[in-house]
Order: sequence, then C-alpha cells, then structure tokens
Amino acid sequence: MDDIDAMFSDMLQEMDLLTQSLGEEAESAPLPKPPTIPGPQEMNFSVGFTDFNASLHDLEDNDLDALMADLVADISATEEKFATEKDTLKGSAPVAPIPSQPPSNLSFPGSSSTLRQATSSNSIAATPPPPTSKPSKEELEEQIKADKIKLALEKLKEAKVKKLVVKVEIMDGSSKTLMVDERQTVRDVIDNLFEKTHCDCNVDWSVCETNPDLQTERGFEDHENLVEPLSTWTRDTENKVLFHEKKDKYEVFRNPQNFYMWKKDKKSLKDMKEKDKEQLLEENFCGASVIVPDLEGILYLKEDGKKSWKQRYFLLRASGLYYSPKGKTKASRDLVCLVQFDNVNVYYCKEYRIKYKAPTDHCFILKHSQIQKESQYIRYLCCDDEWTMTLWVTGIRIAKYGKQLYDNYKAAVRKAAGSATWASRSIQASSSASTPSPTPKARAANGHAPQPAVETKGSSNQTSFPPPPASMETLPPPPPDPMLPPPPPAPPSTNKVNQFPPPPQFPQSSFPPPPMDDLPPPPPPPPEDSELPPDFLPPPPPIFSSCGGEALPPPPPDPIASLPPPPALQNFASAGGAPPPPPPPPPPPAPAPAASKPAGSVRKVAPPPPKRTTPQLAAPSVG
Amino acid sequence: YSELSHTHPHDQYKPTHPCTAWDLTVTVEDLGPDAPPIQISVTSELHIGGVILKLVEKTNLKKDWSDHALWWEQKQQWLLRTGWTLDKCGVHADARLVFTPQHKPLRLGLPNGVTLKMRACFSSSAFRTVMGICRVLNLRHPEELSLLRPVEEKKKKKDKDSSEELYDLTDVPLTAGALNNTSKKLLIHCCSARSHWTLYDGMPAHFADSPKTEAVYKMLSVSLPSPAPEAIAKLYRPASVVDKTHIHTRWLNSSRSLMQQGIRENDKLWLRFKYYTFHDMDPKYDAVRLTQLYEQARWAILLEDIDCTEEEMMLFGALQYHIGKLSLSQDMVSSCQGMDDLESALKSLEVKMVGDSNSTDMLENMTAPELNDYLKIFRPKRLTLKGYKQYWCKFQDTSISYYKSSEDRYGEPIQQLNLKGCEVAPDVSVAGQKFCIRLLIPAPEGMNEIYLRCENEKQYSQWMAACKLASKGLMLLDSSYQNEVKNIQTFLAMQRSNSAAPAAQTDESINTHSLVSPRYHKKYKPKQLTPRILEAYQNVAQLSLTSAILKFLQIWQALPDFGISYFMVRFKGSRKDEVLGITNNRLIRIDLGIGDVVKTWRYNNMRQWNVNWDIRQVAIEFDGNINIAFTCVNADCKVVHEYIGGYIFMSTRSRQQSDTLNEELFHKLTGGHEAL
Repeated sequence: MDDIDAMFSDMLQEMDLLTQSLGEEAESAPLPKPPTIPGPQEMNFSVGFTDFNASLHDLEDNDLDALMADLVADISATEEKFATEKDTLKGSAPVAPIPSQPPSNLSFPGSSSTLRQATSSNSIAATPPPPTSKPSKEELEEQIKADKIKLALEKLKEAKVKKLVVKVEIMDGSSKTLMVDERQTVRDVIDNLFEKTHCDCNVDWSVCETNPDLQTERGFEDHENLVEPLSTWTRDTENKVLFHEKKDKYEVFRNPQNFYMWKKDKKSLKDMKEKDKEQLLEENFCGASVIVPDLEGILYLKEDGKKSWKQRYFLLRASGLYYSPKGKTKASRDLVCLVQFDNVNVYYCKEYRIKYKAPTDHCFILKHSQIQKESQYIRYLCCDDEWTMTLWVTGIRIAKYGKQLYDNYKAAVRKAAGSATWASRSIQASSSASTPSPTPKARAANGHAPQPAVETKGSSNQTSFPPPPASMETLPPPPPDPMLPPPPPAPPSTNKVNQFPPPPQFPQSSFPPPPMDDLPPPPPPPPEDSELPPDFLPPPPPIFSSCGGEALPPPPPDPIASLPPPPALQNFASAGGAPPPPPPPPPPPAPAPAASKPAGSVRKVAPPPPKRTTPQLAAPSVG
Repeated sequence: YSELSHTHPHDQYKPTHPCTAWDLTVTVEDLGPDAPPIQISVTSELHIGGVILKLVEKTNLKKDWSDHALWWEQKQQWLLRTGWTLDKCGVHADARLVFTPQHKPLRLGLPNGVTLKMRACFSSSAFRTVMGICRVLNLRHPEELSLLRPVEEKKKKKDKDSSEELYDLTDVPLTAGALNNTSKKLLIHCCSARSHWTLYDGMPAHFADSPKTEAVYKMLSVSLPSPAPEAIAKLYRPASVVDKTHIHTRWLNSSRSLMQQGIRENDKLWLRFKYYTFHDMDPKYDAVRLTQLYEQARWAILLEDIDCTEEEMMLFGALQYHIGKLSLSQDMVSSCQGMDDLESALKSLEVKMVGDSNSTDMLENMTAPELNDYLKIFRPKRLTLKGYKQYWCKFQDTSISYYKSSEDRYGEPIQQLNLKGCEVAPDVSVAGQKFCIRLLIPAPEGMNEIYLRCENEKQYSQWMAACKLASKGLMLLDSSYQNEVKNIQTFLAMQRSNSAAPAAQTDESINTHSLVSPRYHKKYKPKQLTPRILEAYQNVAQLSLTSAILKFLQIWQALPDFGISYFMVRFKGSRKDEVLGITNNRLIRIDLGIGDVVKTWRYNNMRQWNVNWDIRQVAIEFDGNINIAFTCVNADCKVVHEYIGGYIFMSTRSRQQSDTLNEELFHKLTGGHEAL
C-alpha cells in the first residue's frame, strides 16, 4: 500500500503541474513577453505562424481572448464538474481505485482520444462502494484522494483532446487565428471561419494547405479532420493553411457534364438543362457504387529519380490510376497500375516547369499526406493544360472519396443557403461549433459573466502560451502526444521539451518586433486587460478593412444584422465555456449596432451589407 | 393462315351454319404418348370452356385438370380465353389441338451455375413466367431478370448431367399455379412486396417442407464454394467483343410464352439478371437475390466476360475467398442476411457497455496489451547488403520500439516506429518458412521501408495483425485484433495446402487459381498468386458476409465496362458491322476494328425510337434532330428493342412505389407490335 501511495502522490503532483500549466497558459497568452521558450508542457501546436507580424496582430486581437476563454473554460468546467460530483459523492468514502491507474495512465502514449475519453470517464463512474466501517478521518482522506484522482482524470481527459492553434491565411493577405480540436472536421472549421470573416459563405470556400518545399496546394475535403494532417507537418515547416475560394472544389456537382462527358465538345455541353445535370449526378453518385469519370489520355509522368518526363497513356478507374505500357492495348488486363488511392492524396503543383523541368506548369502529384519533401514515393504528373489537370484531379478525388464528396457538397449547399441571414447563421454557429468544453455546465455559465474565472486563472501566473512564433508550439497541457513517440512516463512536461527542441528560427520570430513590418505590434496589454474591454486593443483597422473590403464593401448598418447577438461570441462561448472578454467598440467601418453589445469581436458583429444576401441566395441555385 | 385454310382439303367441312356440328381432334397428353387423339363433336359457337368440358368428360380420367389448356400446334398459340367461341378463335375442323398442362417442369440454369428443376408457366408471357419463377425462388424485382437459351455444352461427360439434377423443386406446390385473372394481381403484388413470405427458420415457408427443399434454399441463398480451376478453364469464355454479342442473341422474347418460342417440357433455360440496374437492394429481404447476383458477377469475372485489371482481379479474388469462407461457416438460420450485421452491432454495443461500466475492464485497458519478442529487422538501403539483424521488439499501441536485447528494454529504444498511416504488406512463403512483414512508414522525407522477419506462423500472424490495426490507428486492445490474427492464420493455412492436389474450397484449403480467371492461371502459379491475394485480403478481412458481397458487387459495378450488353449491328448508311452497346443510361457505338467507343447517345436525349418490323430496323431519334437507324446482324431486333425499352422501364421505377410492378408499362415499352 505504501508503494501505491507513493505512486499516487507522484501522480498527483504531476496533475497539479498540469493544472497549473493550464492556468498559466490560459492567462498569459496576450502577454507579449519574449517567448524565449515555450511553456514546458508542450504538446499541442500552433500552426501557420511563420509570418510573425500577422500572428502578432492576431494574438492581440479578440481571437486570442476567445482562445483564452476557451482554455479557461476547459479548466473551470472541469473543476465545476468535479465540484458537483464531489457533492453527490459526499457521505460515501470510496476506496479510491488508485492502485494501477496513475502510472500506467500517464505512460499511456499514442492512445486514440476516444478510447482515452472512455477510460477517464470510467474512472469517475467506477468508484467502489464505501466501506462504512472506516473511521471518519480516514474516510475523509480517502475522499480527498478520490476527488483528486477524479480531478486529475478529468483534466487528463480534456488534455487528451488534441487542439491546435491554427493561423489561417485569407486571400487578401490577412489572417485569422483559431483553435481547432481534433474532433472538428474541416466543415466545422470553415463554418468557424465564416463567422470570423466577411466572406459570402458560398460553397467554394475551402481550407487548403500549401507546401512551399513541394510547391503544392491541396484543398482539404469537408469531411476530413484538420488536426490530423496538420499534426504530421514537420516542426520547421513553412506550410500554410489558407482559406479561399476554390472554384474547382465542387465544380463537378455544378457542371457534371464537363467531367462525365468530357469527350464531348464543351460548347455543346454548355447549356445543359439542370434536369439533365441532376440526372447525371444521380446516375454517377447515387447508385450502388460511385461511377468515376472515364478519363483517359496522355499525361507526362516524371520518371523515378530522373529529371525526364515521359508521355504515357493514362486511364482512371475506381481502383486506381493506370497507364497502358508501350505496345499494349488499352484493354484492362494490360494496364499497369501506377498508384491506388487508399493511401495517397492528390495535390496541385505550382511552377514545376522551373522546379522539375516539367513540360507545362499544369502538374499534380500523388503522395502520402505525411511526405513533406521531395521523395521517390511521390508520383509527379503533368498535363497539357489547366482544364485537363482539373479533370484528372477531380476524377481522382471522386475515385478516392466517392459519395462522401457529394454528401459534402450537399451539406455545403445547405449551409450556404442557411447562412443567408444572420439569424440562421448564429443559430448554426452555436449548434455546429464543436466544443472542447466537457460539461454542459460550463457552457451554461459562459454566456453570463464569470469574468472572475478569467481573472483568477489569469492572475495565477503567466509563463506559457507565448505568442505563437514561427513554427509550432503548444497550448494546453500535455499528456503524451498520441501522434509522436511518447516519452517515458515520468514528468511528461520536461520530456516533452526534450522531444521538441525549440525550432531554430524561434528567437527571430519571437516578440521583438520584426524588421519589416507594415503594422507595428500593438502595445502589450497587461493580463488584467481582459477585464477592461475598452482599453484592450481596438482591433487594428488595417486588418479589418482589408478583410472586409475585400470580401465585401464596408457594410452599411443592416437592420437584420443588429438583431441577434454576434455569432462569433456565441461560437466562442459555446466552444470555450468562459466568457470572452468584452471587446472594445468597433473600429471606424463597423456600424453602430455592433457597439451596442460589448461582447464579441468587432469583426463578427459587423453586419452584412445588403449586397451579401444576393450572392448567398444565388449560390445554391447556381450549384 | 386464313388463306391457307380456304384452300385446305377439309374446307368442305367448314360449317355454313353455326349449329352444324363437326369433329374436333384433340390430343390429350395425359393419356400417354401412344394414345390416339380424341375426337369430340362441336359447333363453331361452342366456347373453349365447353370444349374442355367435353374433352374431360370423354377422357374418363379423374384428376385435377385446372392447369390444363388447349395448345394449337399449327398456329403455335394457346387458346386461353375460355369464353371465346371456336369461331372467334379461328379454330376449324382442320385444327390439331393439344390438351396439356400450362405449367411444366423446366431445367433452370441459375446464375450460380446450378441447374434446378422446377415447374414454370409455359402459357403466359415469358415476362410473367419469370415473375412466377422468381416468386418461388424468393427473388424480388423479377423484372430485372429474364430467360435465355443456354450456350450449347459440349456433350462429353454424362456424369455431369446426373449431377445437374440434384436440385428439384417440381414438387413444390405452385401458389402461382393457376394463373387466372383474379390471382394475377395478387401475384404481381407479391413478386415485389417485401413482407409476404412467411418465414420459417429464416426462409420462405414453401422451402421448409422437406430437407430436400431446404437444401435448395441453401443453394440459392448461400454462395457456392469456389469452383475448381479446371472447371473454370473448361467453360466457354468470350474472347472478343464479337463473342460477347452472341450471348445476347439468346434472350427469350418477354412478350411471348415459352411454348410459342419452342421451349418444351424439361428443356433447359438460363435465368440471369438481364438489366443491370438493381433496384432497392436490401440484404434483409434479398438473400437469394444478392447471392445470385454475386454469383453472376463472380462468374462474369472468372470467365472474363467483363475485363478488369490485375489489381482489381486480386481484390475480387480476396473477396471471393472471404465470402467463400464465411459462407461455409454459415448455417441456415443466419443465412437470413443482415443477421450477422445485427449481431456484430449488438456485440460491439455490448463491449462498449461493459467498457463503460466495468472498472476492471478499465484497469485492463490501462495496462495495454503488448507484444514483446525477438524479431529480425531489415532496413533496405541503397548499396547496402546488410541483412536482417535481431532486436528485441515491443509492440505497444500503434508503435514498435526495438532494443538491442530484452535486457535493454527499459532503456531508450534504438528506434520507435509509429505505424499509424503506414502501408503493410505481407512477404510470406509458407513453403520457404519465410514470414516477413514489409512496412512502408510515411515520414516527411518519404517512406521508410522496413522489413520484420518472424520466426513462425504464429508470431507472424500476431505481429501482422498488430501492424495492420496500427496502420489504421487501432491498438492491440481493439476487439478486432483476435479476429485479424485468426484470419491471417487461416489464410496461411490455405497456402500450406496448396501443394496438395488442387481441390475445390474446403474448410481450410483453397487453390488460389479458383479465385481468378484463367488468364491468371497462365500468368501466375498458385504460389505466386497467394501473396498477391493475401495483400488484397488484408483490406477486406474484417467485412461481414453481407458487406463482403456488397463490396464485391460495388467494385464490379464500378468497372468501366460494367452493365454493357453488346449487339452486332449494321448502321444505316454504313457498310460494315459494328457493335452497339446498350447500358442503363446510354447507347454506345463501338468500332469493331479498333474496339473504341465511337459515339454515345444518352437516353435522356432520346425523343423516340421505332422498330420497323418488316425490315427489322431500329430507328432512334435524339434531341437536336439526330437520327440513327440500324439493323441487327445476329440478334432478333426484338431483343434490342426490349433492352432499350426495358432500361427505360427500369428508370421509371421510383423508390416510393417499389412494391408494385407496372407490368402493363413494361409491355408497352418492350412489346413492340406484340403489345398491340
């Protein structure tokens, strides 16, 4: 029993560490203190902060507050939950199920989050019946112990949900920062981004990844998880996440004839009746199996390990990409399989004429998503023109994802139609935003004003959550990372640091203002600022105007817009649990209504210009 | 014919007055082949019912005559309207009538290759006959099937004929028996309704009468073991598109009865899915339909009736193996498909519940299962000839860590490999006692290739299963782990038995040549084939029987050439034969010389199509004033007409009214001049 006790107290200490770090991170984030070293307990990363300046802005923006609120909410929710459970358990003095749990639990790396959650919730439910004979003092101690375990497990559980702070670049050069947890699909993220930007929410908006090494770009499919692919990026990556419109994302569903009847003269297909298009979709996507466009033709294939490109006659089949070897027929039996799609994704490439001496710049590659650099395992293909490339890439996507793609499209159309008004938007936002917060209670609380929660957390300390510098670092405290080789069980925090040495460019990108800025970093607000909205940063106008100005003209006050509470706030509230610090009055272009409520960031409140409704309504009918 | 009858020598007997009596000659089959025809005295005003009454009285035979009807030999037609007078039917004294049952035994070649003897209606349209057959066989949506004359078999072996007669359903009382007008509606309804069969032990009641009929049902609803490679090789395989047109010359005319088309008692016909649009497939109700469709698809692939790539063939092979294995272990009760899915769903639910409430289970979870063993590891690198080196390996969660020896296992591993997202391939030879696992682990720089060499089958199956799960992000404690281990072991056993004489699939052994078409018999030895199929098998081994069948059908339907029925035609204005492909949504013109698609026309651009029955020409008009016309070279143009009309009929079926079959519309669309 002594052993066990010792182990247990060990574990508790660790737990405390974890808890502390949570608090630390939560409050110190806006603090622009030189982030020389990321907090010791690093585990989850932020992504996309290579452009230091933009990230700085973002960090001081309300987004960050919301992020903080999110984090804090996690903690407070956990504690609340724990508190309520404590109440219910009162009187019973459970013999805590200490023995084997703590050490093994901590050392459990690489577990899938779902499983983990199940486990931790088990432990809460599984308190054995109380041995009533025990003296009350002992009872009490046991009780405390058990409670602590529960708290610890709850936190572990929360911590197990992997979260990334992702910087998303928007077309106009501005960027948004948001927290994505591993349960969220790309669709959820897009919805989030709709909240944060003033784009027209049409179905073409996509979240894309770019890889400057390979000069590739790929739009994530709506059903994909965002965290998983981003987690496999290397630490020093210069990959970026973009949010922009991609016309080819769902083009196949708007004009299926161009893909499924590609052999025909394009002009003759131009005015195909909607009914016929629908039937094409029905035939190809709604049967027992999805029919892949019968693409075939000459493409250039970069030869293994060589610089030369060879013409080959390629055929697309549901089972993979094939070519017919020289001197053979096109008969199925003679085809050679270049690649099957189970393990690879398809990426558009840029400027391969220069990089790889490709015959044209219309290239695409097929590779395992984890491969980030040039490799013999990448298949490089080159097409004569852009349309051919779109055809093949779309065809491959259909072969790979099948009906899912069509479902994504239909969901996107529904969303786009639904977001035509602010009202429906905010409802959707609150329902669809996936929330890392574990308890319903926390959610309930956050709508009101538990500022104190922020405060208490905030004042406790301020080390971690450094403003995201270049590359990645972590947010919430760490259980062993499932994605990475786990360290030995012992203090996970320190080990983690060992595993992820700060990236080389870390220092330069950290807070000392970078040389080439267009925007001076706003003054670092003290932690208390979160309490004093007015003082706290007015969101830098440049970003706002550029963002708003690009997607839509500065909006005149819109009656509809002023009605519902700003969606963004709601989103964060539901996501986090604690209230976001009230934002300041909006910058110039923001219309009056926004100011009426002190919550939510200015950008979100900005009402949609009347103009916006038109494209939105139009979008579905076009599609 | 009317002119003929005027010049007929018996014309003198032609009654001038309706009341004049004359003799009608009728052969009654039930009196035996040697019995002389019966003469009855009739007037032209006597209706058919009266003729039958007189006839029955005269035979003095006491039996149930309700299924009998008059067949007019010379005119090749039935006299089924009992209310019509002889005059109205055009029957005169010169007519030779036969009094014969409408339902006769037929040897029915099923999609799975088995011949089943059963009674079928010889007097109604073939379409309705198929409906009756499907009703007995428990096949929904009979409109998708039809009958065709079999390819002549080379009569070499007589023993084959005897084995063909194993399955006999002729004793099953046909509810579809007397197909009169009142029961017709009911029948039509029943043929597509889902819930009319009283199930007994998971099968329709009429199969539960005897062990014999139970066996028939099992044959119908459970896929058969893989055929011996020799059996596949012996069967006819189309070698070209032209060959593929031949099969379509054999379809019966749906608008006419079997008797009218020269089919006689005990003749053999094939029952096949004719239209490749399978409406409302539901494993719960479609056990037989699904199985027979799978069988038809399987044979189409094995006999190279539909072309596929090598990769696809390996996957088909793996699925066949898997389906065969699961079918063997399946008994009658659970052959009620869908059961297995439900069961597994329940099981997993159970596991979840237990996992949620049981603390000991939780504790077990915390000490995660591991694999620990000495394995040999080899990392191929260019220009290195280093071989395998032995390490102490630990498989935990989704990672393999390896150490110099077991003593070092508490220290830092030499390396840790996270297998999530990696590719796992077997590299196995049972004969050579080689059990390697090839891992391709993705990394930012590319893929890391690593080989793990196991000592024996047992070790291999454990580690292989773990790798396979880990590649999908699952851990050892996943409930599917043990299953995976077992699957790998049985597959290895299969390879072991390959050296023995090739035989059809038994419990543990199978010749991989049974799973692929003869082309691959020539290309690969079973030994070479096994690893390829094993590789494909890894991805399907977890499927339930129903899911595996559905998957097979899905891949089949995704093949580019799926669902094309070929006809040799001569287009108007063209001087060479070409091939017309007919599918569920388009017509395809194929150049015979190159084998290339020249043009496609979609049905939804089709304005109308006509058949000129005199010159046997099909003319079709499409939107935009596009007109095509062609004659059929080797098939009756009624077949082509029926195919096009049939597909258009199939497309009119909607999900809502799936329970009623609009037979009238089918006839309108497919009947041609016979529909009028």
